[in-house]
Amino acid sequence: MKFVSLALKNLLRNRLRTLLTVFGVAAGMFLFASVETMQYSLSTATRARADETTLVVYRENRFCPATSRLPEHYGPVIKEIEGVREVIPIQIAVNNCGASLDVITFRGVPAETLQDYNPELKTIEGSYADFTKRSDAALIGQHFARKRGLNPGDSFEAVGINVSVAGIIASDSPQDNNVAYVHLDFLQQASRVGLGVVTQFNVKVESADQLDAVADQIDETFRADQQPTHTRPENAFFAETAKQMIELISFTRLLGIGAVAAVLGLVANALLLIVQGRTRETAIFQTIGFSRYRISQLVISEGLLIGLFGGALGVGSALFFFHWNAFTLGNEGLTIALSPSQAVLLKGIAISLALGLLASLYPAWKATSKPLTQVLNS
Amino acid sequence: MSDSPFIKIEQVSKSFQKGKATITPLENLSLEVPRGEFLALMGPSGSGKTTLLNLVAGIDSPTSGSLWVGERELTTLKRGQLTKWRASHVGYIFQLYHLVPILSAYENIELPLLLTSLSKRDRRTRIEAALDLVGLSNRATHRPTELSGGQEQRVAIARAIVHDPELLVADEPTGDLDRESADSILQLLSRLSKEHGKTIVMVTHDPRAAEAADRTLHLEKGKLTR
Repeated sequence: MKFVSLALKNLLRNRLRTLLTVFGVAAGMFLFASVETMQYSLSTATRARADETTLVVYRENRFCPATSRLPEHYGPVIKEIEGVREVIPIQIAVNNCGASLDVITFRGVPAETLQDYNPELKTIEGSYADFTKRSDAALIGQHFARKRGLNPGDSFEAVGINVSVAGIIASDSPQDNNVAYVHLDFLQQASRVGLGVVTQFNVKVESADQLDAVADQIDETFRADQQPTHTRPENAFFAETAKQMIELISFTRLLGIGAVAAVLGLVANALLLIVQGRTRETAIFQTIGFSRYRISQLVISEGLLIGLFGGALGVGSALFFFHWNAFTLGNEGLTIALSPSQAVLLKGIAISLALGLLASLYPAWKATSKPLTQVLNS
Repeated sequence: MSDSPFIKIEQVSKSFQKGKATITPLENLSLEVPRGEFLALMGPSGSGKTTLLNLVAGIDSPTSGSLWVGERELTTLKRGQLTKWRASHVGYIFQLYHLVPILSAYENIELPLLLTSLSKRDRRTRIEAALDLVGLSNRATHRPTELSGGQEQRVAIARAIVHDPELLVADEPTGDLDRESADSILQLLSRLSKEHGKTIVMVTHDPRAAEAADRTLHLEKGKLTR
């Protein structure tokens, strides 16, 4: 610790240079953390989980809510299939079926069964009872509400649909925090798809090992019907529907790598300048008895501190940015909430520290590479 | 062993390449310095004074010959071992003080102690004693830019003695000071030799500074002349 304090004082010697370097690192790590947040959110939304028990029943060969139309009366039939615990019909309406960072998604559900189907939903403001009583009422996700500055009692209009906010909900599922739940029949009429038509059914099965069997059974049941279905686990549905988004976001990984490389170069350059400006002082330290190892330790500590401060600032800012803006990445009606995560924070800080270490290795060696007498006599 | 000299230099030569030429600042030099002596080295520029000082301080190694300081033959030590030896046995005083500008007097003096396993409290005791010895107890929190040249050199001396080395080497310690400050520094070095038993080797151009030493030797072209 006594050497870390010395390293910190060394950095404060030229405050402007240190500040600029830290800001440079922060900018690079902001970009890196932003890319990682997108990657992480997408990966979380599309990764198959062993404990997954939710199926999505969609119209066969349809990929957009505007074209997936299933008869609402499929619901009771699905409910009778062995292994099915809950079924909820959902009508979806979005303001933008293309790729967008600002998607407004309405989910029309039977108001009286929403809470039973999704008990994790918590009404944090307003009231669930108000939602059930009024046909144009909406329960909106907390991120959705914050982003648009909505409170219970307010009204808003999107996709040509006017609703009144009855309550604000919170859920462990990021999806729920970014949508507006409305009454199914209201949305069917307001969006002009017509009563009795839904976009999809979400089905909960008794246990995860029944997923495939129940999915096959559902599709088999409606195979000869006029509206055949394609049933998949929820995350597989996301993964398939979000293929384009996945490709796009995978490309951004290159940006993340570029940001990391830029940070590496920036810190190495700054440390090299610092070390070169202190050649004589380093020689004095060696004369006093500081070994090459100790001198290297000092330079590396400075690199780690720059990495830590810049990383914490950049990653922290990125996560705050995503938390505050509550972005939802949407494509063809599917929305993925870009949510800040602890995993990205820890990874970002760890990478910043690793970059600080890596960038300081050459300057640390360079600091003591000249013979001591040569520096003292220069 | 008590009669043996503290510093014993036998037939030491030092040469190095500069371009195609071979420079030999010291040639077959032999010298003995008893423990506790205050020795002044004088001579014109390029006579080998600083080279000799650096050899004695373990900063440089001779090309040939043997060099003993205390019980240790420095010529057998490698670079890392010399650094470790310096950390506990040598205090170096520079002409231009070379204090770290961002550190206070206290923190500058603390530097050699950071290399030891002393606790913070023990370090404080030693630093306060060193500051007291150089008469700067009231300047502990001052940075180098807030001190006069004489005070800076006193801090540098405190840094050189705080880890209680047996040997002090001083390269023109009064070369950048006015007469009054220089006399005060020389008195301090003399006290360190006489009252604290430090062996001091000082390089100087100033005959008045040399007068403060117990003995003065003259170097010319790498050889002792008197």
